[in-house]
Amino acid sequence: MRYHSQRVAYPYFVVALLLFGLQMVFGLLSAAKYLGPDPLMGLLPFDVTKAIHTNLLLVWLLTAFMGAAYYLVPEESRVELHSVRLAYVQLAIWTAMGVTAVVGYVFRWTAGNKLLEQPFPLKVVIVIVMLMFLYNLGMTIRAGGRLTTTEGVLVGGLACTALLYLPALFEFDNYTVSVFYRWWTVHLWVEGVWEMIQGGLLAFLLIRLSGVDREVLEKWLYVIVGLTFISGILGTAHHYYWIGVPRYWLPIGGFFSALEPLVFLGMAMYAYYAIRRSGFAHPNRMALHWTIGSAIFSALGAGLLGLAHTWPAVNKWTHGTLITPMHGHMAFFGAYVMIVLGMITYALPGLTGRSEDSRETSANFWSFWLQISGMFGMTMAFAAAGITQTYLERILGLGYLDTQLKLQVHFLMLVVTGILFTAGVALFLWDFFFLAGRPVAVPEREGPAPARSPAV
Amino acid sequence: MTKRAARLFFFISTLVSALIFTILTIDSHRQFPKLTNAAAIDARVIAGKHVWHRENCTNCHTLLGEGAYYAPDLTKITAQRGAPYLREFLKDPSRFYSEARDGRLMPTLKLTDQEIDDVIAFLGWVSRVDTQGWPPRPILVKGSAVPGVATALGVPPEAAASQDPVELGRVVYNATPPGCAACHSVAPGVNIVGPTLAGIPATAAARIASPDYRGKARDAAGYIRESIVEPNAHVLVGPTYAAGGRSLMPGDYGETLKAEQIDQIVAYLLTLR
Repeated sequence: MRYHSQRVAYPYFVVALLLFGLQMVFGLLSAAKYLGPDPLMGLLPFDVTKAIHTNLLLVWLLTAFMGAAYYLVPEESRVELHSVRLAYVQLAIWTAMGVTAVVGYVFRWTAGNKLLEQPFPLKVVIVIVMLMFLYNLGMTIRAGGRLTTTEGVLVGGLACTALLYLPALFEFDNYTVSVFYRWWTVHLWVEGVWEMIQGGLLAFLLIRLSGVDREVLEKWLYVIVGLTFISGILGTAHHYYWIGVPRYWLPIGGFFSALEPLVFLGMAMYAYYAIRRSGFAHPNRMALHWTIGSAIFSALGAGLLGLAHTWPAVNKWTHGTLITPMHGHMAFFGAYVMIVLGMITYALPGLTGRSEDSRETSANFWSFWLQISGMFGMTMAFAAAGITQTYLERILGLGYLDTQLKLQVHFLMLVVTGILFTAGVALFLWDFFFLAGRPVAVPEREGPAPARSPAV
Repeated sequence: MTKRAARLFFFISTLVSALIFTILTIDSHRQFPKLTNAAAIDARVIAGKHVWHRENCTNCHTLLGEGAYYAPDLTKITAQRGAPYLREFLKDPSRFYSEARDGRLMPTLKLTDQEIDDVIAFLGWVSRVDTQGWPPRPILVKGSAVPGVATALGVPPEAAASQDPVELGRVVYNATPPGCAACHSVAPGVNIVGPTLAGIPATAAARIASPDYRGKARDAAGYIRESIVEPNAHVLVGPTYAAGGRSLMPGDYGETLKAEQIDQIVAYLLTLR
């Protein structure tokens, strides 16, 4: 850490990780309900726990993205943050919004639109917070007079995230049209501009952790982001197949979304190339674990498992089955959760003034492997359940409820592996809150910070 | 490749993709009115859509295959179950399903009669959206389409060539609409919502002979036909069959089915001895 103002990242990480922990509670509750019977049905029915589970994911990831950006931008632009106070105010409003949303869902205050359940007033608050955030970043970059490709891609992704949230503010009487534009936000976030954010963070971490030449990495970053949009923008069509759109979306969606794995393959190769050049030389080996893990797991979860059901002839049978959460869980974990945990693990020694190898605790190490195994197991449980459901319900024509009763053993696996994953999350939180230390005031250092990387 | 070339690749590919996407979006808007039957979106459908969102339905159910996977898909539910059944169901789901038997139960939403009618109107509109042939086979809430697995839409090639009324009747029976198979199984002892139709010729003959019989039919074929076009002619007592002395079966098959389709269904059901 070279700039005082980078410390605002710390409270952002605190909020993000607390919400991550809460997300696990609602995830486990939702999974247990699949086993039934549900003693909590009157108090917290499935629709509430599921909406809270997914909304917490979006909110905590965005909180962590913001924290990561506040850490990264001053370092890349070589200047203090424009306004630390604005960053704190922003965090306060954002957290209040998140908490209000969660409490609201419990009391059935919801817009009832999948992943965009936030009631309209809260949606407006989200837009305002995003504008404050982008203003702060923009003024910082302007003051520094230096915009690197890495931070440009990151900030570009965050700006587009705000822009693409705008369609969510409109309401359409025609349900088909409303679903059509819902995907402009949801799909173009997670399979478009969030990949820019992942790419930007990945590039930053690889430059710092491997010391590979920035010019080379940033050149390939452009290629990866270009591939993201070639496949991602027209790939939106894979959500359109069956909702009442013209037929031409089927071949378009099939072809372009089949290209989406190239992006993740690109990122995995990118990480492999960087690490092959330098090896595991950087002392913050846990940050390396999470970073490389993100590149590999996103290739599996977002790339391969997405490809598995994206072709129209396959999707016709799997659409609306448990195949979707199979892909969704591993994709979000690989692409976004792991890169964020990598960023937090990388930033912590600087924020707390400890040595670079201080993150190599057994808690962090076990957290990594428990999360990996838990997520792998959950993905397998969803896959087994989804394939069985597709076969029994969609192909043989067995009723939905009868089919679900035949999936009980997979739901049991889901709960067991979910508990493993949650144990991994708990260890990460334990490590962050009790072992990593508290942020310190650092003396201003001149010039590049040699301790932060083997070679910059 | 230089960094400059990579940047150019990024900007051009993004721009071209966004441009194509925009053009296709504009064209889709041109076609939405016809594909979604937009003229039928009246005040009740819109009010029903609000009920759908307000009650957070999409976080258990899927609609058009989108939503959560904890409860059945509702895209074609109005074609499968009909409004009389859905009205009673929404008033009290626990009358039709139990956690002990089915593993899941929908909470009672305490909707007003108006709200129930609105949400049924909304779901009825959704069921007529042109979904490009999805789902390829009916997605049933409960029970089984086996035996007699048939395609949902149109007549399978082998049956199209057939002129056998029994075979054609089997196809109509398993298609949605009319969705007979969604409520009536043809397996003995399996009562999904309506009674099983296994052994219906003998059952029908016994019912006509019974002193309780209120209809006008004189033989099994006549009884089956009467039950299809006029479900209230003779109402059976059963946990999920009727409410307030009225059958929960849709009463409009006399209008929505062609005369020869009814003949075919009757011919098919007469074979279930």
